[in-house]
Amino acid sequence: MKNASAKRALWRGLTSTTASLLALTIAATPLVNGFRTDIDKFLGTQSQMIVTDAEEDPGSLYTYTSDYANTTELVQAIADLGERMSEEGTVLLKNNGALPLSQEETQKVSLLGFSSYYPVMGGDMGSSLSVNEGTDADTVNFVEALAAKGFAINPTLQSLYTSLEPMFKTEVNMWGNIIEYYNITTPGTSGYFTSKEPSQSAMNEAQAGWKDSLNEYNVMVVTLARSASENGTYLPGEAGVDPSQDLNQSDALGLSDDERDLVQAAIDAKQASGGKVIVLLNNASPMEVEELEANKGVDAILQIGLPGGYGFYGVADVLSGASNPSGHLSDTYAVDNSAAPSAQNFGNYPYTNADPAISANSVLVEAENIYIGYKYYETRYMDSVLGQGNASSTVGSSNGSAWSYDSEVTYPFGYGLSYTTFTQTLDSLNVDLNAGTVTAQVTVTNTGSVPGKDVVQLYTSLPYTDYDKQNGVEKAGVQLLDYAKTGELAPGASETVTITADAQYMASWDSSRDNMAGTKGTYILDAGTYYFTIGNGAHEAANNVLAAQGKTVADGMTAEGNAANVHTWELGELDDETFARSKNGTVVENQLEDMDLNYWMPGTATYMTRSDWEGTFPKTYEGLTATDEMMEYLDCDVYEISADNGDPDSVVFGADNGLTLADLKGVTDLEDPRWDALMDQITLEDCMIRTAFGGTSTKAIESIMSPEVIQNDGPNGISSYPLGQYANTDQQSGDPCAISADDPNANYKAGVMPSPVVIGQTFSKQLAREYGELMGNYSLWSNLTIYWGCGNNLHRSPYNARNHEYYSEDAMLTAYQGSAFVEGGKEYGLIIAPKHFAFNDIEINRTGISVFMTEQQARENELRGTQAIIEDAGALGIMTAYNRVGVTTSNAHTGLLQNILRGEWGFQGLATEDFIQDALYTSLKEAVMNGITMSCNTGDSTLEAVAEKFDYWTLENVSQDAQLMAALKQAMTWQYYAIANSNALDGMSSSSQLVSVRTWYDNVLTGATVAFGVLTVLSAVMYVRAAKKKEQ
Amino acid sequence: MKQNGIGFYTTGLSFVAGVVALVFYMINARTDYFANLGVNPVVVGCTAAAILVQVLLLVLSKQEQPVWLDLAAVAAPVLLMVAFINLTGSRVSGIASIMTFENNAQTMADLSSAIVSMAALLIACVIGIVSSYFNIRKA
Repeated sequence: MKNASAKRALWRGLTSTTASLLALTIAATPLVNGFRTDIDKFLGTQSQMIVTDAEEDPGSLYTYTSDYANTTELVQAIADLGERMSEEGTVLLKNNGALPLSQEETQKVSLLGFSSYYPVMGGDMGSSLSVNEGTDADTVNFVEALAAKGFAINPTLQSLYTSLEPMFKTEVNMWGNIIEYYNITTPGTSGYFTSKEPSQSAMNEAQAGWKDSLNEYNVMVVTLARSASENGTYLPGEAGVDPSQDLNQSDALGLSDDERDLVQAAIDAKQASGGKVIVLLNNASPMEVEELEANKGVDAILQIGLPGGYGFYGVADVLSGASNPSGHLSDTYAVDNSAAPSAQNFGNYPYTNADPAISANSVLVEAENIYIGYKYYETRYMDSVLGQGNASSTVGSSNGSAWSYDSEVTYPFGYGLSYTTFTQTLDSLNVDLNAGTVTAQVTVTNTGSVPGKDVVQLYTSLPYTDYDKQNGVEKAGVQLLDYAKTGELAPGASETVTITADAQYMASWDSSRDNMAGTKGTYILDAGTYYFTIGNGAHEAANNVLAAQGKTVADGMTAEGNAANVHTWELGELDDETFARSKNGTVVENQLEDMDLNYWMPGTATYMTRSDWEGTFPKTYEGLTATDEMMEYLDCDVYEISADNGDPDSVVFGADNGLTLADLKGVTDLEDPRWDALMDQITLEDCMIRTAFGGTSTKAIESIMSPEVIQNDGPNGISSYPLGQYANTDQQSGDPCAISADDPNANYKAGVMPSPVVIGQTFSKQLAREYGELMGNYSLWSNLTIYWGCGNNLHRSPYNARNHEYYSEDAMLTAYQGSAFVEGGKEYGLIIAPKHFAFNDIEINRTGISVFMTEQQARENELRGTQAIIEDAGALGIMTAYNRVGVTTSNAHTGLLQNILRGEWGFQGLATEDFIQDALYTSLKEAVMNGITMSCNTGDSTLEAVAEKFDYWTLENVSQDAQLMAALKQAMTWQYYAIANSNALDGMSSSSQLVSVRTWYDNVLTGATVAFGVLTVLSAVMYVRAAKKKEQ
Repeated sequence: MKQNGIGFYTTGLSFVAGVVALVFYMINARTDYFANLGVNPVVVGCTAAAILVQVLLLVLSKQEQPVWLDLAAVAAPVLLMVAFINLTGSRVSGIASIMTFENNAQTMADLSSAIVSMAALLIACVIGIVSSYFNIRKA
């Protein structure tokens, strides 16, 4: 009896076990389908493939060809470019002749500072370094690079810092997954900066005689670092510093006493036994280093940025003189970052009626107006010299006394030294408004003793008139118009550089001016004198302009300017016609009036004006209450799906026109009637699913025979997948970029390049273009076609810890480095997308934050940093931002997306949202209505799965709204236009078919389902038998 | 009490874990981050059904257990497993986002209830499976 009962329990238990596992496999099947791309990414499998008729000539199938014969050449070219980027992007800020080092000196280097051994090579998160080992181009840190370049470093110090390694560790606990960092890390969005530099006592305790070793190794290189990270933030002033540390640190970006003591120890050693003290700044956000600049014991300072996986080779070459530094700062290095106008509104300022349910969290009022970075410092400086606008008031001064440039700026934007000297002369300057150009000829001569490259920076100073003051139009004292880099000039050699700048970028946005559309807002050129000059940075340019205006040191200038390098151009009358239309003929008008806080709350915000620095210096805007009218937009539910929006039958879907996307491969004219014919084939269901679930890859659509296209993050290189994951391993396929299954670089990941800050600091469009070309080549080998890789938000404030992913505080440097990068990639069919469009200026509350500013500020700073990338480079992709544009999500702002991006600039391409997972904030219907082609959500490719996330996104709803259906179809047209003009269609022809592939995990899942099903039945049968026996 | 078998206690533990899972799921479905996903009827339905079945098991089981109660012992972990998979499926994107791009104190707090709920469901399911090997009452 007992035995029968036990048997019954056993079979009951087995039935339960197998039935539960059966339930697991059955329930998991749709889940697997929903996350198939991510699973494939994780497991390295493929669920779909393109099959092309074997009779097709392989030569005709591949539009793009690589410059490299194999992956070895490819990855070594990446390493080479990474090295050259750092050589040209490292900025020599100070040098009393200590650099370059002699051969002998390279043999006695003491690396001080834990960041010499544990440097910041990429972001903590976002653009993190891909460490490659066992490939043909392994990444190296500073110590490894120095060794490779033949340097000898102090072993005592190396051993000391190694022994202290546990001190440097920062652990981030991600639900049991401990991520360990040994480099200095960035605070989170609500954390503090904690210094990890060991104190002198800690160093003495670790190795008592370490200072003695500096007698022999007396070339002291001190590395001071600040990290960078997506979703990270430095807070201005002491509020951003760990209160538990007592290190006399007034700002996270300023120095701590432990860092000061370390530098002083190096100086003391130098004084005792000779030698040199060289400081390396390993950072993306400008640090406060006035004390190092002023300290005569510090012989040289190099800003090396975040150098990536090969950049330290370049840094080593700069130290040894094998390479002559030619980098220039892409940001202003202020004495006190917290005194900047932008810093007055940089933090967490919640709405008093914040509503997390609709992601209505906080506000950011950018009350500094157009005056960010050098546009503030140089303009206020010029006004202080000119005695206007209360510029010398104490307001905004970092030391409480009258504002003076020397007390506020350590190194200006665009500044950089060389091991040689150059002269530059502005030979000619011609403004041609009909052609829309400003052409400058500049002769650069190397007047020193070693070869080197120089940068020509062309600045303009616009008239600031009474009209401007009356109408709220602001003008920077100087603004970069364009730039160029010379080739390497031998001592005594000259090169004449011709810069043909785009004249539209010296126009100013006037929100109050009548325009050709009969509304308000247009670009104007004021009547008056326009100054054009060149200089080693914005400050030298400002001084040149002041000199041309008759000012001297006696008037308060920091140095005499060179009036001979200034050309002027006169405009008799205010011109509101030349740039009243964009390049594609669209009449420009105000589109961002609702970005001004005063649009919603009249009289609330005061935006800074140079006509009164003292009276309008930004206050902090906090404690704001969103009005009911604002709430109507903040709730993300603006568009109403309706049957009253036209005739649903007018929008054709599912036609049988016999075309495939491959038929339109390389067709750049969207007016070609085949586009309409092809897109008539697409089904409404496909449009709805693909816009809703566009994340991580752009999935295949059978109705137009479009392949799956893989998306990748950046900007420090294509880093989401190893090179071999999606590579073609069938070397008989005719694919010129097929690799063997055992390719030595199959596991290589390209997140290895220097951060965009370094690329900005090169001031080299050629290098930026080479980077794009190289990533284009990489995409051909790796079959990774969409690259969210062009970070072009501006460095509004040094406190944004995500600055490492963006180039500069300046719009033109950002735009032109980005344009060259995008153009380079496009040449090889890579879609490089600028991001984050737009105003992603802070990481705090980025999902939902309301960013407010004037339209002039928006257009002349942030948007100008993207404009050329669309208008000139013809980018085929773009990513919107997490934040709101005023109160509207950035993925649904009509003025920004439809009227500026697609209207004025003529963007034709795919547009994705950032990684927004919240269904409401995704604003799917509003986004589609505004030209977004895909959200970043993922899921099973069924309408049921879509509707589960977006309850309004049903066939019944959408099919009644003709306007929405037309928008859906238009979005898909733009998306597949981009893909047709990319390398995603390489290998495809009209005959190509999409074939689903059963992966091993599909087989395992099916097998497990069958097995558990059988076992469940068997167990149940045995249970019944046991139960019957027991009864008997 | 003396008549209670191992199955009584393990079923009790599974029941408690199931209740915890349900409570934390309802909390999670009301957090700022996950509220817009709504309440998944499959998760609630399956978990509630499993709890109910286990209550019946605990209350109605006798030495000579009828076959339908044995079926209930099998059904409970199956229901919990279905709930677990559905909950995981509905939260995985959010987890990925919170662990990376949207990581902050608030989102981590919102995520914690989801993690507790998923863990409790899995535990309830596993203990439920174990329970089915044992009788509720001693023979």
